Amino acid sequence: MPSCSPNSTLERVQPLLGTFVSVRVEADDAKAGHRAIDAAFEAIARVHALMSFHAPQSDLSRIHRAPAGMRVVVEAQTAEVLRLALAFSKWSEGSFDITIAGKLVAQGLLPAPSQSRAPDTNACWRDIELDDGHGVVLHHPLWIDLGGIAKGYAVDRAVACLQTHGIRNACVNAGGDLRLLGAGPHRVVLDTGVADLAQQPVLEVDEAAVATSSSRAFAASGISPHVHGQTQACIGMQDCVSVVANLCAHADALTKIVLASREACEPLLKQLGATAYLHDAHGQWSTLGVAA
Amino acid sequence: MKSRLLLLPVAALVAAAPVRATVYLSIEQAQALMFPGATLTPAFITLTAEQMKAIEKDSDVNVLSPQLKVWKSSSGGWFIADQVVGKHDFIPFALALDEHGAVKDVEILEYRETYGDQVRNANWRAQFTGKTHSAPLKVGADIKNISGATLSSRHITDGVKRLLSTYALVLAQQHA
Repeated sequence: MPSCSPNSTLERVQPLLGTFVSVRVEADDAKAGHRAIDAAFEAIARVHALMSFHAPQSDLSRIHRAPAGMRVVVEAQTAEVLRLALAFSKWSEGSFDITIAGKLVAQGLLPAPSQSRAPDTNACWRDIELDDGHGVVLHHPLWIDLGGIAKGYAVDRAVACLQTHGIRNACVNAGGDLRLLGAGPHRVVLDTGVADLAQQPVLEVDEAAVATSSSRAFAASGISPHVHGQTQACIGMQDCVSVVANLCAHADALTKIVLASREACEPLLKQLGATAYLHDAHGQWSTLGVAA
Repeated sequence: MKSRLLLLPVAALVAAAPVRATVYLSIEQAQALMFPGATLTPAFITLTAEQMKAIEKDSDVNVLSPQLKVWKSSSGGWFIADQVVGKHDFIPFALALDEHGAVKDVEILEYRETYGDQVRNANWRAQFTGKTHSAPLKVGADIKNISGATLSSRHITDGVKRLLSTYALVLAQQHA
């Protein structure tokens, strides 16, 4: 192992959540720093195992295998993410909807779950019932994809883990959805998916989370991982949005809501103390939310 | 939550520093993290053409090299240093298997394409080497946090799949 130097910066990357997750910490002691990083990766791996669309043993796969109407008890973390996702659906009047998985499967972006009935095309987030005992009941056959919120949630879990280990300065970045720990200002370089920018967008933030969503990389293929919950239309084909919020789960989900609802989500952004920076098809920037 | 957007002008093309790879862990550091306190003995293998073919058939992933950099741990288990082809470049990674051949951990050792396509663009790179009027970006200090659309780690998943086939068809046989 490298010798311990005071306040050394340690960074490691593991493939988790379908992307590259990096955890960077500042630690006085390298051993303690690596232990904190280990714990942060374990926290993310746990979210991955519970909420994976692909893994047969995940809570999601168990929900998908159960017949409609049957109660499936999930882990507390899965229930927490489902509760938050349903709250975002309610706040956004359905533009954020975790039941768009059927559409993503149809586009070939997700594999069809095995041993599961095809989803009812009219089913939506309102057909998911979640009780206080972490029980989940689907009132119609449907498939849930937490890809729009679980990465952010996993980042929050990892940051909480680092704090428990006494880390004060850190960055956890799950493939572009990140959260910074420690006094700012921090700089976050935004990759808008446009290669020949005349100017480079950079966010200056305090201790905060930043998430970015865009379907620009998919524009040529006409498919999109981001789908409007109500209209089922592909969103973000021409634009890119970055959201700054306290929690990464909020920032993550809000990016999809901004792509779907634009100005209409201003009250929600303000309610959550968040700001959205939208880069549109014409290369113009607009700001929504608290910093607007 | 305080935040502001800065649009930093692209500086004139000045001697653009070559893109440096980010090295996260050396092989020795990865070994110490993945098998703490254990002794690792090299057991490098050159795969035969038949073995490579069998691995490809089993994993449905191309085998790029017959050389397999593998170490046996005194605590049981295996350490394999390998690489996959990313979008533009090789991504070296380390895989730790337990004594039953199950995945313990995967660590990315080095990454060269953090900024995706953007960093290949000389103009984009140049701005970080030139001075900007009010808020210069410091290479190293300032380009550590990048937010963008999610990058897929599919290549690594395929690489791990290939190594699990390699374990089952080659390593487990030789050391049974």
